[in-house]
Amino acid sequence: MDQSGTYIYGVVPEDIEIDEKAQGVADAPVLSIKHGKIAALVSDIGMTRPLGTPQDLRAHEQLLNATAAEVPVLPIRFGAVLADRDAVIEEFLAPFHDEFVAALSELDGRAQYVIKGRFVEDRVLGEILAENPEAAQLRDDIRALPEDASRDHRIRLGEIINQSIEAKRDADTAAMWDEVEPVSVMAAVRPPSHELDAVHLAVLVENSRQHELEQAVESLGRKWADQVELRLMGPMAPYDFIVSQDQDAE
Amino acid sequence: MTVQPVGSRPGGGVQNRSSGGGSLADVIDTILDKGLVIDAYVSVSLIGIEILSIDARIVIASVDTYLRFAEATNRLDLTKSKPGLPDVVAGAMGGGAAPEPPQVEQVEQVKDRSSLEAAGDKLNDFADGREHAVPRQSRQES
Repeated sequence: MDQSGTYIYGVVPEDIEIDEKAQGVADAPVLSIKHGKIAALVSDIGMTRPLGTPQDLRAHEQLLNATAAEVPVLPIRFGAVLADRDAVIEEFLAPFHDEFVAALSELDGRAQYVIKGRFVEDRVLGEILAENPEAAQLRDDIRALPEDASRDHRIRLGEIINQSIEAKRDADTAAMWDEVEPVSVMAAVRPPSHELDAVHLAVLVENSRQHELEQAVESLGRKWADQVELRLMGPMAPYDFIVSQDQDAE
Repeated sequence: MTVQPVGSRPGGGVQNRSSGGGSLADVIDTILDKGLVIDAYVSVSLIGIEILSIDARIVIASVDTYLRFAEATNRLDLTKSKPGLPDVVAGAMGGGAAPEPPQVEQVEQVKDRSSLEAAGDKLNDFADGREHAVPRQSRQES
């Protein structure tokens, strides 16, 4: 007989209803396991199958995002599996019941959004050449030299560009922070995930202020129209705003 | 547990407003790097399911990055992209030259907690075709 386990997505208030069609990892139906005032969103998972395909990641994310759009949810990092459903209560929900209740009440009516901006490469490179005479000179030198002889110049030029992009990223991140912070409960800067990232911010926002957030992001987006490709993602579960015990110590 | 930012510090029009998450790369940024870590709560360890996992990435500049930037700069047609050129001109040219699509970050997988095997192949399925990124794994959780 195949061994199976219980995959956990997140913790929600006890009184939620799950859409019968909700599918989790490996297309398994999603269930809730209730304990006191809280419930864990789970699904059964066979243990013969490795976990972590793109489909698995999307299933985890989509279930939590759909949930977060409706109710507060404490998202669990991808990949948590317990031995069985009893273990979910005995080892997870029961011992930390009050802590989870408190966090859920703090998250009530709030959801996370992520703002991600990326520099339009040609545009930002053009700006840097215009702003930095050394960069412009290096570019001219490189064009005049055979490729073999220009390696040092190219490295130096790339270094200047990288530093300039970092400075622009800091400035744009600060500008976006100033724009969205007033309409947010909390905000957090995420590290860049790409060398051309302009902005990478997570914000926790009251559901009633979602429209204000969109307007704030769009107003800066219009200003940056040709320079930065901007995306606003969410609502999603508050991944960036919950800290578990051990993480606090990091 | 507390509700607080995980590491906070202040440091074009919105292209698309996706409901929920974005690309798979965005998903990875979020659900593999963030969220409650259940092992912090559960003393009895997770059962031994094989987890394909990848760690968070941060961008670390390297000589490769520099050379790539230099190459992109060299290719740049300054008559089109130079700031100061009246926007009207670009507009009159039918919106100007379309910028290259942004390059999506590449994903690098490392072994995480639990026994991880064979993570690379599957994850590379979607990382393929994305070039020029300079990801480095970092922050192994401990």
